[in-house]
Amino acid sequence: MAEVHVIGQILGATGFSESSLFCKWGIHTGAAWKLLSGVREGQTQVDTPQVGDMAYWSHPIDLHFATKGLQGWPRLHLQVWSQDSFGRCQLAGYGFCHVPSSPGTHQLDCPTWRPLGSWREQLARAFVGGGPQLLHGDAIYSGADRYRLHTAAGGTVHLELGLLLRHFDRYGVEC
Amino acid sequence: MNPQEEKVKIITEEFVENDEDADVGRQKTSRVQRRKRKKQLPTAGPDEMVSEKSHLGDQQEPGHEDPNADARPLSMPTRRGPRSLPPIPSASRTGFAEFSMRERMREKLQAARSKAESALLQEIPTPRPRRLRSPSEKELETEFGTEPGGKIQTTQQEDDSQSYSRVKFRDSVRKIKSKTPDEEELLDDKDAVDFLLGLDRGAEDIVAVRPADYESVHIRLQKEKELLFIPSRRTVPTYKKLPENVQPRFLEDEGLYIGARLEVPRTNQNIMENRLLMQEPGRRWFGDDGRILALPNPIKPFPSRPLVLSQEQDIKAELETLYKKAVKYVHRSQHMIGSGDPPGNFQLDIDISGLIFTHHPCFSREHVLAAKLAQLYDQYLARRQRNKAKFLTDKLQALRNAVQMSLNPAKTPKSLDTTRRAINEYKSEIRQTRKLRDIEQEKDRTLLKTIIKVWKEMKSLREFQRFTNTPLKLVLRKEKVDQKADEEAYEAEVQAEISELLEEHREEYEQRMDEYRSAHQQWKAWKKAQRTKKKKKKQGVEEHPDDEMEEPYPGEDPVKPVPPEPTNQAVIEQEVRERAAQSRRRPGEPMLVPELSLAGSVTPNDQCPRVEVLRREDVKRRSVYLKVLFNDKEVSRTNSRPLGADFRVHFGQIFNLQIVNWPESLTLQVYETVGHSGTTLLAEVFLPIPETTVVTGRAPLEEVEFSSNQHVTLDHEGVGSGVPFSFEADGSNQLTLMTSGKVSNSVSWAIGENGIPLIPPLSQQNIGFRSALKRADAISSIGTSGLTDMKKLAKWAAESKLDPNDPNNAPLMQLILVATSGESYVPDFFRLEQLQQEFNFVSDEELNRSKRFRLLRLRSQEVPEFRNYKQIPVYDREIMEKVFQDYEKRLRDRNVIETKDHIDTHRAIVAKYLQQVRESVINRFLIAKHHFLLADLIVEEEVPNISILGLRLFKLAEQKRPLRPRRKGRKKVTAQNLSDGDIKLLVNIIRAYDIPVRKPITSKFQQPPRSSRTFSEKQAASPTTHSPTHSADYPLSQVLVRPFVEVSFQRTICHTTTADGPNPSWNEELELPFRAPNGNYSTTSLQSVKDDVFINIFDEVLYDVLEDDRERASGIHTRIERHWLGCVKIPFSTIYFQAKIDGTFKIDTPPVLLGYSKEQSVVAERGFDPVRSLSEGSYITLFITMEPQLVPGESVREKFDSQEDEKLLQATEKFQAECALKFPNRQCLTTVIDISGKTVFITRYLKPLNPPQELLNAYPNNPQATAELVARYVSLIPFLPDTVSFAGICDLWSTSDQFLDLLAGDEEEHAVLLCNYFLSLGKKAWLMMGNAIPEGPTAYVLTREQSHYLIWNPCSGHFYGQFDTFCPLKSVGCLIGPDNIWFNIQRHDSPLRINFDITKPKLWKSFFSRSLPYPGLSSVQPEELIYQRTDKAAAAELQDRIEKILKEKIMDWRPRHLTRWNRYCTSTLRHFLPLLERSQGEDVEDDHRAELLKQLGDYRFSGFPLHMPYSELKPLIEAVYSTGVHNIDVPNVEFALAVYIHPYPKNVLSVWIYVASLIRNR
Repeated sequence: MAEVHVIGQILGATGFSESSLFCKWGIHTGAAWKLLSGVREGQTQVDTPQVGDMAYWSHPIDLHFATKGLQGWPRLHLQVWSQDSFGRCQLAGYGFCHVPSSPGTHQLDCPTWRPLGSWREQLARAFVGGGPQLLHGDAIYSGADRYRLHTAAGGTVHLELGLLLRHFDRYGVEC
Repeated sequence: MNPQEEKVKIITEEFVENDEDADVGRQKTSRVQRRKRKKQLPTAGPDEMVSEKSHLGDQQEPGHEDPNADARPLSMPTRRGPRSLPPIPSASRTGFAEFSMRERMREKLQAARSKAESALLQEIPTPRPRRLRSPSEKELETEFGTEPGGKIQTTQQEDDSQSYSRVKFRDSVRKIKSKTPDEEELLDDKDAVDFLLGLDRGAEDIVAVRPADYESVHIRLQKEKELLFIPSRRTVPTYKKLPENVQPRFLEDEGLYIGARLEVPRTNQNIMENRLLMQEPGRRWFGDDGRILALPNPIKPFPSRPLVLSQEQDIKAELETLYKKAVKYVHRSQHMIGSGDPPGNFQLDIDISGLIFTHHPCFSREHVLAAKLAQLYDQYLARRQRNKAKFLTDKLQALRNAVQMSLNPAKTPKSLDTTRRAINEYKSEIRQTRKLRDIEQEKDRTLLKTIIKVWKEMKSLREFQRFTNTPLKLVLRKEKVDQKADEEAYEAEVQAEISELLEEHREEYEQRMDEYRSAHQQWKAWKKAQRTKKKKKKQGVEEHPDDEMEEPYPGEDPVKPVPPEPTNQAVIEQEVRERAAQSRRRPGEPMLVPELSLAGSVTPNDQCPRVEVLRREDVKRRSVYLKVLFNDKEVSRTNSRPLGADFRVHFGQIFNLQIVNWPESLTLQVYETVGHSGTTLLAEVFLPIPETTVVTGRAPLEEVEFSSNQHVTLDHEGVGSGVPFSFEADGSNQLTLMTSGKVSNSVSWAIGENGIPLIPPLSQQNIGFRSALKRADAISSIGTSGLTDMKKLAKWAAESKLDPNDPNNAPLMQLILVATSGESYVPDFFRLEQLQQEFNFVSDEELNRSKRFRLLRLRSQEVPEFRNYKQIPVYDREIMEKVFQDYEKRLRDRNVIETKDHIDTHRAIVAKYLQQVRESVINRFLIAKHHFLLADLIVEEEVPNISILGLRLFKLAEQKRPLRPRRKGRKKVTAQNLSDGDIKLLVNIIRAYDIPVRKPITSKFQQPPRSSRTFSEKQAASPTTHSPTHSADYPLSQVLVRPFVEVSFQRTICHTTTADGPNPSWNEELELPFRAPNGNYSTTSLQSVKDDVFINIFDEVLYDVLEDDRERASGIHTRIERHWLGCVKIPFSTIYFQAKIDGTFKIDTPPVLLGYSKEQSVVAERGFDPVRSLSEGSYITLFITMEPQLVPGESVREKFDSQEDEKLLQATEKFQAECALKFPNRQCLTTVIDISGKTVFITRYLKPLNPPQELLNAYPNNPQATAELVARYVSLIPFLPDTVSFAGICDLWSTSDQFLDLLAGDEEEHAVLLCNYFLSLGKKAWLMMGNAIPEGPTAYVLTREQSHYLIWNPCSGHFYGQFDTFCPLKSVGCLIGPDNIWFNIQRHDSPLRINFDITKPKLWKSFFSRSLPYPGLSSVQPEELIYQRTDKAAAAELQDRIEKILKEKIMDWRPRHLTRWNRYCTSTLRHFLPLLERSQGEDVEDDHRAELLKQLGDYRFSGFPLHMPYSELKPLIEAVYSTGVHNIDVPNVEFALAVYIHPYPKNVLSVWIYVASLIRNR
């Protein structure tokens, strides 16, 4: 019966080699969690930074969960996409981070990665765009054997999340 | 540069400063030293440096000024004492400064030196400056020498950074070298001299020469021997490692699991053992077997991380990546995560290889047997392969051995207790295993017997019928066995069993004996006690004879226990032998191995009896094909193949299904064709959708069974299906078989060109709006999707030789065992988050019970009751249970029809239906509502182009005209940030015309001749029917009427001042606050506001109530009364969508207005008001708007699916685009959305439809009257705007029958129905789309009479001539006929100024033309409308109820006064209302007045009838309230209220309400 409010925003991203970026995000929780209000997933606008490296999205996140257990604490998974000059979109990075478990405001930096693919695919990516993507998006946050995956580092997504916890102390969880 | 280095540099610099002047000589020395070192430098390895260090240590002043990087730092610590700073080269900048300094020093040096000193210095290897001679200093040096290489490393690193300076330095050195080569030599000898010059010279006095310490090897070895122990490498005898007199015990031999030990070389082990024995004599390091205790080898035999190089072959499914081309982002697609994958083409391969019937109607008896035999044989083969009996026997053997082992006391060092327990466990297991084995053996045996039996039956059948149908042949192969060995084994087995059983029995016996003994003892004790009691009692009885009676029995008497019988060995043996004989092969009996073959021959046709031939022919005529159904849609079918004589059909076809979505179902339908007659569906076979890992090429053929329940009886040898038949001649032992069979098929995912399986992503498995992530297959994501296939798992387990005893594998083995045996319970679920249950804070129920959470969720789901709920309480206890009551009730009553609110059941049903339609439509559009375009989110000012800029510039130069007001656009407000009180409704009441005037009560009544009018008269706006004969009646002095306007909206009331005369001018602005329902100012909420703005016109009447005439001089005592004259009702939604309403409206006056008349003093005004003189009613000019202006919501831009022809749809788009280009403001409608959300071409709605016969019969000879009546009928159907019912969604058009069923609709439904009626009456009629006041865009009906056109308002039933200035229709956009659409392309769009001749293509652009002829579209309307007669009794009942409710309401509205009802007047009124209905509210006033006067002569009467279509009760109440009749507070007022409901067909009800107030004239 504990409640968790996740209120914050996806500030933006830095360090991507591509310029026009947008981000698809989603929150994944365990079975014990119930979404009371808010949307679990969404997509930001495309930001093309005019000055500097950082793409700002300032995309609001406002979720209210009720939970009956700690398992499956909410985790945030992100997909950063870039849009090229032809308006085509391609993947720039997958990222994943846990929603912090202590109340208060948290600045999160979520590094991202993307599958590298074979040299052919890399070559194609460099010239005609596109790129390898995960067939199953849940590999972003599931602990499957990822060592087989060859990845390249993407940039970092910056998040600012505020956590409000309620009634956790009632069940012996100190926070 | 690390900070340390920096620091050092600073320190060195300090030194430079200090030392520069302090000791010059020393510097010289160091320079020389440096020279020397320089020669060694190039190979400055760490060793060298260390060695060098001692050398350098001599120097007093180390090289802080020495730029040589390698050597100098090492000397620094020696000088500075213990410092942990890493040795660091100095920066290059010191180099040059020092250089010049050195030059000077050199000169000094040359002046003073001696050879002896230099010699001394060279002799002593480690000469020290005095300061350094202390022992501590010495130690320090050695310390430094042993410093790890790390320092040196850092030095080297820094070296590199300093190389630049070094090079420079070398250059300078070279210069010097070239200058003074001799000097160098000289300096070499002299550096000691100048060294000592700077210091004192008494070194030799303190230094003594000593030889190095040396210990001889022998002594050292000796000492070491004393100290060290070297364990022997020899094997330790086992007895040493074990306690005294204990035999080593090998657990592995006892069947316990011991993992493989780690491989350790023998010698190492021995050394270890020796050491352990020596070190800790306790032997606790040794196990029972005398070996060192060891855990199983943790090293896996194979690497669990395969080399990454092998990535190509087996990347796990969920980690697969797919190269995707950069895709154009599709805006319309879902914007959710996970669905970014474009819908690719995925492929499912379905391989249908064949079909085997296990039963078919055409089976002969022999076939039935053959099928049975084949089935049994299959079973046999399966069993033989599994060979469970053998396995169990082995297990039994092993268990017995184990028991034997553990029984041996010598071998068990463990405590007796554990042993016993182990033995007991073994025994119980033996028992179970034995039981299982017996069962298995018996099964095997019975199976074999059945096979043989069936075969025998078959043989006899073949003999009996004298032909064979099937090639089946069973051969029983006998396997000889060694009789003797067999017998022995058999006997041994029996004996073992007997002994075990005996033992069991003995145990049992003992147990029972124990029980018996204890019971016996108890019994004895009881007996004893009883006896003593009895004795006591006997004594007691004498004393208290009645005591016995009270003696309660303490329970039942313990029965004397019976000792158990000892077991009889013979009996047991007998039993065992019997069982063995039954279930086991007798010893010596040969093993029978059945072998089924198809080697037999089938009797040819000519040797068969006729029935059989018939059967065979029938079989030949039959053929079978399969249909493949994907998601319940047929996608393909196989070829039709004839049924073979063996009832097998081979297809061998592979279907490649190109799919887009994740499949939901995959079905095969088996069809059978007999001859040329039709096909019958035999059965449906449901195929499982393959796992994502099953791809083509890997999928095995699987057999899926099917069966059908059809009944077939055949007239030949075939046994039929579902029909009982028998093998016996007498027909006993009947058998009923259903058609059944097996389809062998394989379903798999195809592999694309690049080896990627064409599987839709799992995210696609969900359809709709739910999260793509939620439903991802949990099992496959952990990579264990293979777990579902137990056979494969078992196979794998067998192949990989898993140790079944290894505890690690225990769950797996258990799983396999359970799954393959198929006898135990297999859980059909897989639990994720197994520990969830244990760690839950609360249970699910409690979580669901939480009211707060429920409320929050309902609010976020936008459930209507909670949509705008604000501020949900923080604690559950603060939430009342009743919050949910409405919601729960609604859920409960979804299908229960509620009649309370509606009174009339039919309307209740309709309301319910409407609600359902609304819900379904809303759900459908919910998704569409969440689609945003860029324009929805961003308001972008248009970039000014050159022309606009030019205009602006031009304007700058324009003359300023401050007195000329310019219209400024108001700012529009979006609805988000509004709250209560922000929005106001502004009603500007300008003036009114032709208000009815008062009639003196005393005026004599004159009946004007009733004119029978014609249309021509009417449309030509015939002059007032009443001649101005009464003008004389009006006393000129008296005020005709004193009207004022009252505006009521949402129960807020405002009124204007009172004006005089029938044509008042107020010009007042009234401000009414607007409150949205629930404080929700969102667009959808505003659209659904159903409130109306009532604009009521009242007459203010002053009554002199002065009782006494004498007081007239001193005071005025009057009472103000207001009399309702009429009203204008404007729905809020109209204002909301129109933004402003501006115009002159007809006042809705009651047909009878007692005390008032439209007669006017024509004398005065008629002359100069020609417009008014044309009119019939009263009119009011209004301007209504909202402040601030709200942005009306837009309808959904969704493309609806349509069944229209694609070409037609394209044409409509083109047509609309063309029209919009020319006249963007004119309404052009080609397609509309029907009630199921489909796009329909508009002309399909128009079709002649019959009006109710009743209406036609009313005026059989008067077509005009009929038309009017029909229009009235249509107008009586309640009006309900679509925007209200389908808030924010769209305009839905229902067909006429739906409209009549719903009894509620929009303008267009009314118009369509009216138009259809007119068409059926034989008129030329069109639907006219245009703008009207106050409705805005609306639909009217245009009819063509002989020479002129009439415009009908379908909602009010009124009609207007084309040239009627008071026609509310202000512009015409297009005309729609049953077969074409005409768009108005004339310059003007006002009906007054346009030509309605649609044949002129210059004036009307038609949709269907020569280039696109009318394709003859069928209508969506029904063939005929069926009207039920409305139940008169029900109407009467409704009438009474409404009357009662209204009376109650009026009483409620007058809480402070007594409300009296005048019954007499009420009954009079009630009689009058039907008359009004009959005359449609016209021309009855005067009759009525006369009658009323006659009956209620002494009452002052004010009142009026209201007429409305009936939809529900609330509008009626609202209308009565708005008249304000109840407001009269004269003490002696009486009221009268009558309701009349006139039923029209199809439950259309016309409601008349007559309200009146009466005041008795004194």
